[in-house]
Amino acid sequence: MRKIILAAIAAAALSGTAYADVIKVGVVGPFSGPFALQGKNFKAGIDAYMAINGNKIGDDTVEIIYRDVPQADPAQSKALGQELVVKEKVQYLAGFYFTPDAMAVTPILKQAKVPMVIMNAATSAIMKTSPLVVRTSFTTWQTSTPIATVAFEAGVKKMISVVSDYGPGIDAENAFKAGFVKAGGEVVQSIRMPLTTNDFSPIMQRIKDSGADGVFAFLPSGPTTLGFVKAYNDNGLKAAGVKFFAPGDLTQESDLPALGDAALGIQTTFHYAVSHDSPENKAFVEAATKAIGNKAELSFPAVGAFDGMHVIYKMIEATGGKQDAEKAVDAVKGLSWTSPRGPVSIDPESRHITQNIYLREVVKADDGTYINKEIRTFEKQGDPGLAAVR
Amino acid sequence: MTSSVNSDILLGVKARGSLVRDLIGIAVIVVAAVIGYLLFPDNLALLTRILAIALLVLALDLVTGYCGVATLGHAALFGAGAYAAGILSAHYGINDPFLMTLAGLVGGAASGLLCGAIMLRAHGLPQLVLSIALIHLFHELANKMSSWTGGSDGLAGIAPDPVFGMFEFDLYGQTAYVFGVALLLIVFLSLRILVRSPFGMLSRGIRQDKLRVRAMGASPSSVLIRMYVISGAVAGLGGALNAISTQVVALDTLSFTQSAEALVMLVLGGTGSLFGALTGTLIFMLFEDYVSAANPFHWLTMVGALLIAVVLFAPKGIYGTAADYFALRRKAKP
Amino acid sequence: MQTVFSIAIDALAYGMVLFVISIGLSVTMGLMRVVNLAHGAFAMIGGYIASYVARDLGLGYSVAVIAAVVLTIIIAIPIERFLYRRIYGAPELTQVLMTIGITFCVIGIANYVMGPTLKTIPLAGPLQGAANLGFRSISVHRLFAIVCGLVVALGLWFAIERTSFGVKVRASVDDAAMASALGVRTEVIYAISFAIAVGLAAFGGVVGAELLPVEPYYALRYMVTFLVVVSVGGAGSIPGALAACLLLGAIDTTGRYLMPEFGEFFFYLAVIAIICVFPRGLAGRAK
Repeated sequence: MRKIILAAIAAAALSGTAYADVIKVGVVGPFSGPFALQGKNFKAGIDAYMAINGNKIGDDTVEIIYRDVPQADPAQSKALGQELVVKEKVQYLAGFYFTPDAMAVTPILKQAKVPMVIMNAATSAIMKTSPLVVRTSFTTWQTSTPIATVAFEAGVKKMISVVSDYGPGIDAENAFKAGFVKAGGEVVQSIRMPLTTNDFSPIMQRIKDSGADGVFAFLPSGPTTLGFVKAYNDNGLKAAGVKFFAPGDLTQESDLPALGDAALGIQTTFHYAVSHDSPENKAFVEAATKAIGNKAELSFPAVGAFDGMHVIYKMIEATGGKQDAEKAVDAVKGLSWTSPRGPVSIDPESRHITQNIYLREVVKADDGTYINKEIRTFEKQGDPGLAAVR
Repeated sequence: MTSSVNSDILLGVKARGSLVRDLIGIAVIVVAAVIGYLLFPDNLALLTRILAIALLVLALDLVTGYCGVATLGHAALFGAGAYAAGILSAHYGINDPFLMTLAGLVGGAASGLLCGAIMLRAHGLPQLVLSIALIHLFHELANKMSSWTGGSDGLAGIAPDPVFGMFEFDLYGQTAYVFGVALLLIVFLSLRILVRSPFGMLSRGIRQDKLRVRAMGASPSSVLIRMYVISGAVAGLGGALNAISTQVVALDTLSFTQSAEALVMLVLGGTGSLFGALTGTLIFMLFEDYVSAANPFHWLTMVGALLIAVVLFAPKGIYGTAADYFALRRKAKP
Repeated sequence: MQTVFSIAIDALAYGMVLFVISIGLSVTMGLMRVVNLAHGAFAMIGGYIASYVARDLGLGYSVAVIAAVVLTIIIAIPIERFLYRRIYGAPELTQVLMTIGITFCVIGIANYVMGPTLKTIPLAGPLQGAANLGFRSISVHRLFAIVCGLVVALGLWFAIERTSFGVKVRASVDDAAMASALGVRTEVIYAISFAIAVGLAAFGGVVGAELLPVEPYYALRYMVTFLVVVSVGGAGSIPGALAACLLLGAIDTTGRYLMPEFGEFFFYLAVIAIICVFPRGLAGRAK
């Protein structure tokens, strides 16, 4: 007991030593547990940005403090957010992989006078909860809407949608349906399956029986996507000519080696592919690979974090290192720059990122690795979700 | 489960000692709370969270430690309390923190009744699995009723009024902390009285020898159900405290993970004693907070090592083993 | 009609995969009376070894399976000697604490050593692809898993019920003191049983990897599934575990076909119903 108190005092004393010109950024993300890979990508993106741009802005030094929320756990996220603000005196909060974790922290931003830069959490409604939030990732609506056009133009008239039964899955279902019906197609069935589903054979049977000529799917990145794509192949849907469409969460680069040949030919729409061909991306991938240690682990949260750091650096520049949340956020409204994913800007109205959405196809690259190859660009996409949700 | 800590029996049965021990217990909690406040004035959010979880672990101890019911689903009661308090505020606009706490108590007790009735249908391992099934059903139900619970996005918009119209639940968390400490003290004192009461002795008897209790003319099931309801009320209070202090409720309050963590904390401290439950919660949460801040990427290994070490070196839990040790010393020196 | 048939085959395949992965746990929990929450951790270690052997060393699927089983057992020997031996006969909750601790450590180490990405185990040529059953296709690997399940079930049943080793195991479980008085070296029996359980876990981890992919969090993610299946069957009973897997597989598969959005409800309501009717599990023996 006593030792623990002593240890805790020591910890408090160590972290309490602040220098006048150190600007602290608190990053909350899943650094352990089932989503550790995504948290690792946050860190890789941040490290890459700081490796390229240095950790100094004028006289000020930027310091990152990481805090772990392994799974969606808003109470924990809020407690850590409070701790970062009150104890660590951070001037910026960033990260947030899950929507509820971000939502839990937004109410304290105003009192804390701290802006928040969301590097992943993809539900449209977060932006409405506080004017101090800026987002550099994407929304599920943003990435799932263009695929409806792609599906319709590929000659599919009847679609079935299959999504995981949680917030982002339902967003994806609505976004796709809205887009596909507008284009003139019909969604014959909408299936929601529990997040814990491992065996997708019965779902595949449902798809077969529905008589649709195409399937739209959304599952969170990670182990379940592997089972889903394999079941799609093994149950003969691919052979039967049922076309497969999804947002890019399903074919994130770090899952591709595991998916292997099963993923070949799958078309997805997303905001970033590691294979994106530009000098900015080349520099980013090089730095991020160095940071993460293994290129195969690099995935989309890294670019969200990289651009998030860009926004934070601009905020620090604009405020001269002083804590002024409103000024900081105002400074980046309308900011535009060339990100590793392509040209982007912060929409002054919604504070969400406006970006190109790419249609990609999984192909085997010359070196034998699997990549998402960009084959079509939907330019300057905003977030259609904000208008759709109330 | 038969050999869980019975230090309370060893030390506390004699009525003359028990009152003193109550006072000591209260004093220890107050002193610890004051020390926590003074040492970590910037960490009150964490400390308040520990208080809320402590209530859950105390509730779990009532059924696991005192009645011998193994459960990996006790967060169902905690979550029910949290959602009851949260829904009252977010949907009905009733923001009085005391009413919200009351709602948590009622919500927890009601789900305690339901869970208790089902849990009594089996024993041992199948009972453990029943609790797992229950927690998943609660979780799925909350996910499905998203218009009430906010689904996987969490229930936001909880805005408790200032306590007595004066003390706001703000960023620095002083109000929430003091509120939580007061709640824990009241619960702790009530539970001390409860476990010493004939009813408490009866439930302990059930754990040790169900047959004999039945032969004495008492009905084990009715005792267990009543205990489950009380446990639900306590867990619900914890949930309400969590909802009030964090102003958000999400599915994780109803999760298997939360239940399993509570059980781990209880066993870590020592089952069958209220102090054991408190010790376990405090040590586990502080340890977790410390190692996860020190190394957010690989702290899980450290927690695992702690659990293994406790089993190897303090098989009755940290508090249980310490209490035994002192009891032995006292016996040796008359 | 075709749909019903198709669902039945999916249910059978899913149930058998569950069986192969969970049966090792039935051995530890039923025969050794250890609530072994680290079962998934051993399955995961097996999966990682197989993935390393088959994918990184390119040694083929059968070598990978054997290497996984053997190496996992070798890894488990010190764990059994220094950790598990301390909790035989301990209260259940102590066992829970210890085995969860082991699981946390294994997850942390796996995350550190192998990285957080998914690992696959490349299948042998004949197991790849899909077989055509006339009215539908099913992956050959699923058929292979069904066969594995049957072989494991028969082998275990024979070992426990028909060999002298089985007699000694059952004797040690029922009354360790009496058994050792009669000259049975219970420590050795326990060590061998544990090795078998771990070997089965590793085997299940490899065979089931197509359905439950190997990643660091595997050990906790599927722990509940294993525990539920084994308890519903009645810990320690091979036919019980088989029946439970097939029954739960059928309920889960049918539920997921008919009303996917309520899949979880079906499964867990069924679990509650079964346990209320059979409080000791489908084939539970009275203690």
